[in-house]
Amino acid sequence: MIKAGAFLLALVLLSVASVLLGPSPINPVSVEPWQREALLSLRLPRVLTALLVGGALGVSGVVLQGMLRNPLADPYVLGLSGGATLLAAGALLLGIVLPYGVAGFALLGALLTGAVVGALGWRHGGLWPERLILAGIGLGFLASALLMLLMSLSTDEALRRAVLWMFGDLSLVGWRGLPLGAALVAVGASVVALRARALNALLLGDELAHTLGFSPQRERLVLFVATCLLVAASVSMAGVVGFVGLLVPHIMRALVGADAQRLVPAGFAGGAALLVVADFLGRTALSPTELPAGVITAIIGAPYFLYLLRKKGVLSV
Amino acid sequence: MRPFILEFQDVAFSYKGQGGLFQGLSFGLQEGAFVALLGPNGSGKSTLLKLACGFLRPGAGSIRLWGRDLRAYRPRDRAKLVSLMPQVPVQNLPFTVLEVVRMGLYPYLGGLSHRAETAGSLSPMEALQAVGLREKAHLALRSLSGGELRRAFIAMSLAQGAGFMLLDEPLANLDVRYQAELLQLLRGLNERGITVLMSLHDINMAFFFQEVMLLSEGTIKAFGAPEQVLREGLLREVYEVELDRKEGFFTAL
Repeated sequence: MIKAGAFLLALVLLSVASVLLGPSPINPVSVEPWQREALLSLRLPRVLTALLVGGALGVSGVVLQGMLRNPLADPYVLGLSGGATLLAAGALLLGIVLPYGVAGFALLGALLTGAVVGALGWRHGGLWPERLILAGIGLGFLASALLMLLMSLSTDEALRRAVLWMFGDLSLVGWRGLPLGAALVAVGASVVALRARALNALLLGDELAHTLGFSPQRERLVLFVATCLLVAASVSMAGVVGFVGLLVPHIMRALVGADAQRLVPAGFAGGAALLVVADFLGRTALSPTELPAGVITAIIGAPYFLYLLRKKGVLSV
Repeated sequence: MRPFILEFQDVAFSYKGQGGLFQGLSFGLQEGAFVALLGPNGSGKSTLLKLACGFLRPGAGSIRLWGRDLRAYRPRDRAKLVSLMPQVPVQNLPFTVLEVVRMGLYPYLGGLSHRAETAGSLSPMEALQAVGLREKAHLALRSLSGGELRRAFIAMSLAQGAGFMLLDEPLANLDVRYQAELLQLLRGLNERGITVLMSLHDINMAFFFQEVMLLSEGTIKAFGAPEQVLREGLLREVYEVELDRKEGFFTAL
């Protein structure tokens, strides 16, 4: 409990620091009007986005690695990011405009892909992990092929915008898209937190999960839908931010153990912290050039991941 | 007469796309029984166990637990009464021994809570004590040997408070010493009132049980005391192999 409290405090301090610090640091005691403007309209929504997206990716990584019993699973293994990118980048390339903008297209693409993957993974009244993975990989390939087709037919300017979106950008969504994204993340993460024991039980195998009073097929469906919401929300807010969903579950498992009742909240907090730090470094390290947060998460996370691999010898879910 | 803890009545079952495995299967098991389920591969031992805990549903007929249809139970209420240890517990789990045993409390927990108020008669630590794994409580599950792993899952079922344990070949792939240890543990639990139905591969192990149920191609060939069921002629017919009996034990010729 003390550890959890300390971690949460650190996360809050990190976030506040990240809001105040930047290419032009802001003194919270005497804020100039223009600083106030930058603070409220640019930095605050950006840090909130990083918290939500990082948390959502961390939690969905925990769920997918557990549910699919695969330590290599990450939030994008289900192909949701592929579907989201196809629609979002497609809209940018073709110059289509919708009320909710690119984020709306991405959300739609992710949710549609989730529905198709779920339908393909469904058999004999339930979802089957192997089928879900294969369906996700297949659809992901299809989406990226279609995307490449679109890109090869596009103009340079539209191409640049689409590629930037694909790298992941936390500054895109702003205040306008935050409420919807936050609501989706809140629903998805709460469902997962409430089903954490079922997630543990599923890891023991379907017979033991049943023996403990869970319905394995129903639990898998609930967790799958919640994960789709989390991934769709994160992709629609920030594009594809790599590595967080793969690394954070492993890092947190090494820190708090594998019990999902601890690992799920830890995954949220860890993902949020990693992305806030990555975003901060991305804004400041090579200022005025901004580095995509996904690049930083990989540069910080991958060495630590390799260190864990070396220390523990095995990686498991 | 003591009440039936488990009762199959005209149960039919078939796997999708295959012929019927069970047809009109009926039997009753009394509270406190200690029964070995014997039969060749494919005779339906695992399926019977999965039906008995409700993991599989019968195509026809009824399965009663404590006189009440299995389907009428809320899953978590059923979980407090009966447990199944599958043939191959998943290997390479990331949990510690105690974490897995504590999962036995799940049927008693609601919402986000971590603590059970009225759980089984044994706490997780007491359950680990009962199976002789107390010292290994905080070790990784994957560091346990095959015999210890099965004992850990038996401890989970004790923490679960299930008075009726179904075990699918718990003695498989164990050295004879660990087989004896595990069997002794289960007999001890049976003496403390837990009903045990477990499938077996080794015919001779069945002599150590109160009762033996001999299954062949989905029908019960014999059900009774070991001396009545484990007869040469019957076993030869069911296993389709010549058996020799020396000093009371069977060997295949």
